[in-house]
Amino acid sequence: MMLKIAFRNIFRQKRRTVLTALAMIVGFTLSSVFIGWSDGAYSDIISMFTRNRIGHIQVHHTGYLDKPSLYDVIDSYESIGEKIAGVEGVEAWTPRIYSAGLGSVGDKTMGVQIIGVDVGREVRATRFDQKITSGAIFSETAAREAILGVGLARILKADVGGKIVLVTQGTDGAIANDLYTIIGIAESGDKATDRMACYLHIDDAQDLLVLDGRVHEIAVLVEVLDRVPKITAAIEIQIDDTTLEVSPWQVVAKSFYRAMQADRQGDLIGRMIIMLIVAIGVLNTVLMSVLERTREYGVLKAMGTKPRQIFGVVVIEVAFIALGSIVIGALFGASLNYLLSIYGISLPQEFSYGGIVFQTMYAAVTVRSLAIPAVTVLVSAILVSLFPAIRAARIAPAAAMRAH
Amino acid sequence: MAPVIATEEVTKVYSGDGVPVHALRGIDLIIERGEFTALVGPSGSGKTTFLNIISGLDTPTDGKVWLNGKFLSRMGGNALSDFRRDNIGFVFQAYNLIPVLTVEENIEYIMLLQKVPKSERHERVLAILEEVGLSGMASRNPPQLSGGQQQRVAIARAMVSQPAIILADEPTANLDSKIGADLLDMMYRLNTQTGMTFIFSTHDPMVMARARRLIMLKDGQIERDEVRSP
Repeated sequence: MMLKIAFRNIFRQKRRTVLTALAMIVGFTLSSVFIGWSDGAYSDIISMFTRNRIGHIQVHHTGYLDKPSLYDVIDSYESIGEKIAGVEGVEAWTPRIYSAGLGSVGDKTMGVQIIGVDVGREVRATRFDQKITSGAIFSETAAREAILGVGLARILKADVGGKIVLVTQGTDGAIANDLYTIIGIAESGDKATDRMACYLHIDDAQDLLVLDGRVHEIAVLVEVLDRVPKITAAIEIQIDDTTLEVSPWQVVAKSFYRAMQADRQGDLIGRMIIMLIVAIGVLNTVLMSVLERTREYGVLKAMGTKPRQIFGVVVIEVAFIALGSIVIGALFGASLNYLLSIYGISLPQEFSYGGIVFQTMYAAVTVRSLAIPAVTVLVSAILVSLFPAIRAARIAPAAAMRAH
Repeated sequence: MAPVIATEEVTKVYSGDGVPVHALRGIDLIIERGEFTALVGPSGSGKTTFLNIISGLDTPTDGKVWLNGKFLSRMGGNALSDFRRDNIGFVFQAYNLIPVLTVEENIEYIMLLQKVPKSERHERVLAILEEVGLSGMASRNPPQLSGGQQQRVAIARAMVSQPAIILADEPTANLDSKIGADLLDMMYRLNTQTGMTFIFSTHDPMVMARARRLIMLKDGQIERDEVRSP
């Protein structure tokens, strides 16, 4: 019966109910778009950051991630890679070699990061071929070829067809150097990487650094980003090697991930503003209703209704309005997020995050973008209704029945 | 016969604006089961205050109240709610039906609080509606009824759970004399048939004329207590 009274009370003052619901619907929709937008942007950033650069999961020799060393290598990477490929949800894997060195083109010399890549696997994993802005990608077999980052090529005034001399140290401790033909210029989207990167065929890199078939890193791409933690654990079990550590992208790019998490705290402020909009709207109207129905609550109490039941009537009425508003708000929020996920919004000025440049931002329809506003609206509406509900529950029946 | 209501030196003082107002000044009263009693007196004589106190809706500043053998002053909030639910039926001047509930729902409300099974509730609602002459109106909403019909529903609501006592605060005040007389006849008949105790606070000479006991209040005191032969 209390549910019935609460539900029917909604329709007594239709205008007031509509206004209360509007406050909640607007609050929900704003919050949903806010979160959907943020999720879309971060999803793009994470996707570009991981897919184009670091991969979703990386395997290294233990300790390499904290203190990279030429000597901390992965032996038999092919067999480890095969084990990784057998894990459900893994899309691709690719081995990499890293070393610091000096690169000279003509009379220009610059510190470079030598990156040895398996061309076929790198193309499948990170679409390396799409990063080549001029020239060509490596041949299948090693042929003393190099691809320079666009920034490095600019500094060294290098161009496709030119030669670069690389000087570094091999794992045998000797100075290693060789001459390579520049066959392409690559742009990764990360300016810092592009100013240093000198890509070599994996066999050439192993030759130069005397690595004898070993690598420093295996980058893994997964099919679904959200499954990274589970797949990381599965890979650990699958390779079962204590000399190797398996790290998800959040660990590999710790500072990037922390910066992103800190940015997301901004969501909280948005949610608090929305809670405030809802709270003011609801408090005002619920207080008004309680005042108007003082006599009625007095009669109910006189007949033996307990204070907690009166309290329940007020809170349930607000909860009903909140639930209705959440359904409508979810329709609006999801529709707007869907439209923005397709058409996006072009930014008047491009912006860069984690070295990745963005010109159009897209929203996303995510569970978060509906669940968080739903909980926020429901909780704030119920919290705000507690005060009027307590007032209603405490009404003294004799005094209430004298009220007009 | 055991008294249904007994009061001893009941006093009520309101302290509005810092000035004490003595609404009741030491009322001693015994009301027996089955009485049809009218509390009369001018406005401000303490009729409604007395009804509120004997029903547990208000507490006396001093004095003692027993209702149906229970000492009301010793009861806490929830116990008092349950006691009112099971022992007292209220009829108000302004009917005070719950506008969002149908006639049937209004009448069955107390039985629902008493956890009476649905089928029994339905049967009792239909029976009492017939008793008060409103058969066929179970599904109507209070705003669709006339004042007289609403007051009949209020009487049905008060009586359906068969409480020991019905307290009616100016039940005919908002009704024209014909409808008021009909209602009074009905309550008189129900009192005779069921033996329920009826106590009215009233200004209405018609109610005074039908009452078997007339208690006259003036300035918070019983001025006259007159028992009439039926």
